[in-house]
Amino acid sequence: MPGLLYKSAAIVGAAEANEIGFLEEPATALQLHIEAIKNLSDQTGIPIAKIDGIFSTGWSTELCEHLGITPKYIDTTAVGGCSFEMHVHHAAAAIYSGIIDIALVSHGENGHSARKIGSGGGNYGRGAGNASPSHEMTMAYGLGGAPSNYAHAMVRHMHRYGTKREDYAHVAKVTRDWATLNPRAAMYSKEKHPFGGPITVEQVEESRLIAWPLTILHCCMVADHGGAIFVVSPKIAARLSTKPVWIAGAGESMSHGNMMEMGDFTKTSADKSAEAAYTMAGLGPADMELAEIYDSFTITAAMTAEMLGLAKPGEGHLLWKDGHAAPGGRLPINTNGGGLSFNHSGMYGMPLLIEAYRQLSGTAEDGINGDKGKQTDARTCVVNGTGGSLSTTGTLVLISDDD
Amino acid sequence: MAYELPIPRQGIHTRPFWEGAKEGKLMLPRCIDCNTVHWYPRHICPNCHSINLEWIEGSGEGRIHTFAVQHLVFGPWSEHAPYVTAYIDLLEGDRMLTVLRGVDPEKPETIEIGAKVRVEFEQANDDTFIPYWRVVGE
Repeated sequence: MPGLLYKSAAIVGAAEANEIGFLEEPATALQLHIEAIKNLSDQTGIPIAKIDGIFSTGWSTELCEHLGITPKYIDTTAVGGCSFEMHVHHAAAAIYSGIIDIALVSHGENGHSARKIGSGGGNYGRGAGNASPSHEMTMAYGLGGAPSNYAHAMVRHMHRYGTKREDYAHVAKVTRDWATLNPRAAMYSKEKHPFGGPITVEQVEESRLIAWPLTILHCCMVADHGGAIFVVSPKIAARLSTKPVWIAGAGESMSHGNMMEMGDFTKTSADKSAEAAYTMAGLGPADMELAEIYDSFTITAAMTAEMLGLAKPGEGHLLWKDGHAAPGGRLPINTNGGGLSFNHSGMYGMPLLIEAYRQLSGTAEDGINGDKGKQTDARTCVVNGTGGSLSTTGTLVLISDDD
Repeated sequence: MAYELPIPRQGIHTRPFWEGAKEGKLMLPRCIDCNTVHWYPRHICPNCHSINLEWIEGSGEGRIHTFAVQHLVFGPWSEHAPYVTAYIDLLEGDRMLTVLRGVDPEKPETIEIGAKVRVEFEQANDDTFIPYWRVVGE
């Protein structure tokens, strides 16, 4: 019996960069990528704008940004020379699933030229400083960590909607309230951390400035975290004693890599990734009983809530300010205490998944997630992760096994 | 005084930009086919995917799209903190990052989104003149 992916997808063209080999005039890796992609487009007649899935070894964000495209399937698996064969496998699965129609698998590597000019790109997948043009044109200007970038979005968001910084401070306050129910949260109590325990909006506002308008309590922590999940077939799930939480919907998108390329500073691509996830699930924002949202900063959570359709544009912060997102509220958000007060190690996507699983599987009352018993009875949860500088988004709709 | 802040390493296809900067010109890449100016410089037009690109001399005028004030800073810029970073909407289209001049970082409420700015260049070394933007009157 052939497998599910049997003849599910085909390779329809193959091209290379204009010049390959030992180039006399050195070329950057980025240039080699782009030349090959352009030649492939010409060869096949497939417009670059029609590419809806991107597969590369760590280059996917930068390639899409450079090409000005925003695909809905983003894979940048980089596990060595065999990565490209895996990309084809992943692409076939994505095509079989009906998520995408046109997958680009791209390679560009200047092993020879790099000795003269460096790689010239790959900033987003392999550490900064490789002198891609976006890096070249921004590295002079004193931006550092995430707060230095995200503050620009907060200023534009406030400008557009007439909100004040204090409005977003409620996100930090309420998220801390959740953390005080979770003994595993870094900011659970004063005993656990000198700055732990409940906080007020005033304290958030008056804490130390990091990048105006962001004070330190508007920012997530940088701690240590490890986590893992299993995703299995229904057949396997049926054999296990643990409770399944079903993946009802999934979507991904991106708008840029470098924040300079962020078209609209008041929104992320989470509206697109969420639309894909909701559509797949046959559910909408009004059906969500729980939300786990990447809260690198208060603005990230507030803005993302708007993108997920949980609040109107400019009103995301009201979910927290009016108590809806708080313990006992109608739409609990970031029930573990979030990146702001639970844990954030640099990439917060895994804690989001773990918390969603615990809440929807009813395992959150085992003392891991609260000393006051189970905190939610949610059957549905939207999980959204943000990456880079508000650059990339992934949304999942998860449902419990209760039905 | 020696320039002690980070100096960009110049790429190959961005050379016309840096050559222009030496003469106080803000050179911008434009697509010959769709006439769109893009920033940062690409190998391909991000609007129409043509590779027929040219360099034009920009007006050096723009407006503040958004900004922030950097207080917690590590590395060479730390001595200059607080300072204002801003994204500038170029008159020709698309956007550039800068450290904004002619503003008071201690009074962010006095900095206006939409304020008019003009480019100026600071010499960093023999080959590199770095563009900075300054708030100017209307």
